[in-house]
Amino acid sequence: MINPIKGLHKEFEKEAIPHTDILYNYALRMTGNADDAHDLLQETFLKAYRFWDKYEKGTNVRAWLFRIMKNTYINVYRKAVKEPDTVDYNDIQNFYNIIREDSTDANDLQEKLFGHLLDDDITKALESLPEEFRTVVILCDIEGLTYEEIAEFVECPVGTVRSRLHRGRKLLYSRLFEYAKKRGFVGKD
Amino acid sequence: MDCQEFRELISDAVDERLGPGYRRTFADHAGSCRNCRNEFELERITKQVIRTRVRPATAPAEVYESLRSTIRRSPSNSQGWLGIIFGGEFLNPAVALVALLVIVVGAISLLQKNNAIPLSTEKNIIAQSINNYTATMAGILKPELVSHDPDDIKDYLSKDTPFDVSVVTLDGCDWCGGVLSNVNGVRLVHVVYKIGGEGILYVYQVNLQEAMRGERVGLPEHAKSVLAKTGWYCEQTPEGCNVVLWRHKNTLCAAVSKIEKGKMIALLSDKKP
Repeated sequence: MINPIKGLHKEFEKEAIPHTDILYNYALRMTGNADDAHDLLQETFLKAYRFWDKYEKGTNVRAWLFRIMKNTYINVYRKAVKEPDTVDYNDIQNFYNIIREDSTDANDLQEKLFGHLLDDDITKALESLPEEFRTVVILCDIEGLTYEEIAEFVECPVGTVRSRLHRGRKLLYSRLFEYAKKRGFVGKD
Repeated sequence: MDCQEFRELISDAVDERLGPGYRRTFADHAGSCRNCRNEFELERITKQVIRTRVRPATAPAEVYESLRSTIRRSPSNSQGWLGIIFGGEFLNPAVALVALLVIVVGAISLLQKNNAIPLSTEKNIIAQSINNYTATMAGILKPELVSHDPDDIKDYLSKDTPFDVSVVTLDGCDWCGGVLSNVNGVRLVHVVYKIGGEGILYVYQVNLQEAMRGERVGLPEHAKSVLAKTGWYCEQTPEGCNVVLWRHKNTLCAAVSKIEKGKMIALLSDKKP
């Protein structure tokens, strides 16, 4: 006789577990540490398993799992953040004006950033991005998802994904540039 | 193509998504406008830095194992929820062992008194709540769903429940869980909170009018009277459990725990509407 619980469990493992890495990576980049990432992952899978009957078979299970993780992150982990993320677009624009004066040689800057910035600086710069920008940058630039996939993951139009990527990368560059300046890899002013 | 149009297409160009019709005009504008070319280059560099220096993390093997193990022990599985509470994910092994011993000793002592610990069918709500707390600690009354997010539990318990279910965010709460039951034909809600360092807090919930009518479930007269006057009623059991009753909208809540009475009231007072 078929054990329905065992069957459900096997089906869930077969469908959901293969997406562990992408979810773990996202959890790690959002929470900033392995312990919280592990907890977030556990909670995501527990919820997914509990609500497995709500998942529409044949649809994108990875996007479904991701949305559960994102909502869990917002409800549980983001509560710990006292100040909401804010972005001053004037600052970004100012940065562009400064950087044009500092160095207009993109290859030179690339070499400076590629060659000397610590991995830790880059990770910190990424983790300092506001959540909505960080999410699309992680999904596009680290995970290699298409705009259409990202739009399904975060439930927004493709145009919004495009705009968030553009703004997110601009902001990220300004943060990387600050690290490079602090470490003396580019001129102070 | 003007600068505004160019900027809107920068991400597409960086991600190599530009259609053939745009590639030429994009390249032409980049060739003639230094500022736009710089902006494109900066975004391209940023993507390159992230892609080459931040590698996708791979979940360690123990994470996979832990996930599988957690799913197997999740509430929908016949192995029940005690495994989740006492599993390594929530408590360290030493604390889990001590907690398990306390429960085993407690359960044996209660079994000696009552021979069994049933899900209480008592009419008296206070007695029901105390019995249910004991049953919870013994693993007999098991939450169907456990989560760090009270809203999940509330949504789950509110389904077809004819009164307002209260599941709140308590200070220091590690997780909460819930289960529904029907006793004497009355819908009951059972919520369990694991408060870090304090232990388990069990909350029984029933329709307030049903409780006040006292036909199928009810309260002793003195409790009813104090509750009506002050909105609260407290008592302590000989075993050292504190029982706190209060009203929440059209719901009567009865919390039972070994948490010290003052702490328990403070914990619940903050959340009382």
